Amino acid sequence: MKIEVSGLRLDYGDVTALRDLTFTLDAGKIYGLLGRNGSGKTSLLSVLAAFRRQTAGTVLVGGRPVFENSKVTPDICLIRDTGETVDIGTANDALYFAEWLRPRWDAAYAESLMDRFRLTRKMKVGSMSKGQRSALGVVVGLASRAPITMFDESYLGMDAPSRHAFYDELLTDYMANPRTIILSTHLIEEAGALFEEVVIIDRGRLVLHEDSERLLARGTAVTGPAAQVDAFTAGLTTLGEKRLGGTKSTMIYGELDDAQRRKAREAGLELGPSAMQDLFIRLTEPEGEPS
Amino acid sequence: MRFPSRLLAANLFFMALVWGVFYVVVTLITVAIAVFGTLRFSAWESAIQVSRWFLLFVGVALIKEFMPLYIAHGQTRRQFGWHAAVTTCLYAPAAAALLTLGYLLEAGLYGLAGWSQALQEPHLYDAPTQVPLVFVTFLIESLVWITGGAFMMAGFYRWRGGGLLTVPVGIALIVLAESSVGAQLYLPLLNRVPQPDITAGTLTAVAIGLACFLVGLALTWPIIRDVPLRNKPS
Repeated sequence: MKIEVSGLRLDYGDVTALRDLTFTLDAGKIYGLLGRNGSGKTSLLSVLAAFRRQTAGTVLVGGRPVFENSKVTPDICLIRDTGETVDIGTANDALYFAEWLRPRWDAAYAESLMDRFRLTRKMKVGSMSKGQRSALGVVVGLASRAPITMFDESYLGMDAPSRHAFYDELLTDYMANPRTIILSTHLIEEAGALFEEVVIIDRGRLVLHEDSERLLARGTAVTGPAAQVDAFTAGLTTLGEKRLGGTKSTMIYGELDDAQRRKAREAGLELGPSAMQDLFIRLTEPEGEPS
Repeated sequence: MRFPSRLLAANLFFMALVWGVFYVVVTLITVAIAVFGTLRFSAWESAIQVSRWFLLFVGVALIKEFMPLYIAHGQTRRQFGWHAAVTTCLYAPAAAALLTLGYLLEAGLYGLAGWSQALQEPHLYDAPTQVPLVFVTFLIESLVWITGGAFMMAGFYRWRGGGLLTVPVGIALIVLAESSVGAQLYLPLLNRVPQPDITAGTLTAVAIGLACFLVGLALTWPIIRDVPLRNKPS
């Protein structure tokens, strides 16, 4: 199901959380939604999942408005760490209601995920660790098999092995049952390999929506003697720089053509890939803040 | 629209458990009073004051726990509102039946022991064994206390502290319905709540009780019809 967002604005009283967001997400891809704290990620996902109504603009899922639309909302699943889907007595209770309310619920898959994350049905959700609650949210999210499944940092409470188990399960299940998945996360290096496309928002505005590989290709670390680096990067969009003695590494944004690459080699400069996290940091850096 | 089978079943199951424990505790207290003191009145009559608060929190839980659960699972607020209303309509008779059963079981116990099951407070019924009238009284109370809890919780869920404004309205609905069945209402700190003197027959009481229930539903719906889910745990 395609997601079409146009002119989206969301206000909380006097505070504007999202402003004039416009983008389209095609069906059947894994998207990374990145943004700093308070950038509007949760607000955006909440509007996409009809958890709240937008102040202005349109949000269409499968060509239909999403808020209070019973023809659309059953196909959307948003798991947040606020725990709406799991804070209901025991794990068994959470699964009992998920099975009943989710039209595509896969009970057998849910059971296998419970085993994988070492959860039992008798566990009281209120007594669970944060990691266990997160894992239960992951179970509900994945087993819902919703055509649009979104996780809003809902797996951050899990320990590293559990998070990697989540990434494995997500990818395996996505391959077997293709659907649109949106992951909002601060663990960019860890989850970045999963993303087919990346959406970055900052202070409620869209900073970038791009194919992951293309995004990574746009960032290039140019390393070498400071004078040569400065000469090469003059006129290019720089995202940041680091110095160590006479050596300097400048990250530039924008694809280099063959002539530029040849010129860099001739100047004795090294061109290396940039990390998605570095690009994200630079792209969302407040103006005037030192890099 | 689907029948709210699991919402109803889960709530009925929990109520049956609570009722079972509650009945045993009340019975033990009753026997203790009879053994160590003097038992002149129905203990169940006094104990069921607590049941009203339980019913209030059933309404609170519908909004606080189940509404976010429904919306997070892709159901609309309209679907939830319908399910909550149907659940309340079917849950209230079940609650009334269990509360009535408590009187009947107590009557059996009192009869065996030779105790007097007299009532201390005015009601729509004169004796605990007037089953239809006892049932109607509890039915009205159940409907209104659940709806009152849901209405006030909806206010707090939507407006947080501003939800305090819904409390006088919620209490007014409950007081009116309780007055119609001739029951005395006690609240913490306030003790006996001032109530209008309504000398109503059964039909009038039912009409007032149903009106309070429907007004409660009608007032709750505009609050939840487009309520946003909170971004942080409540």
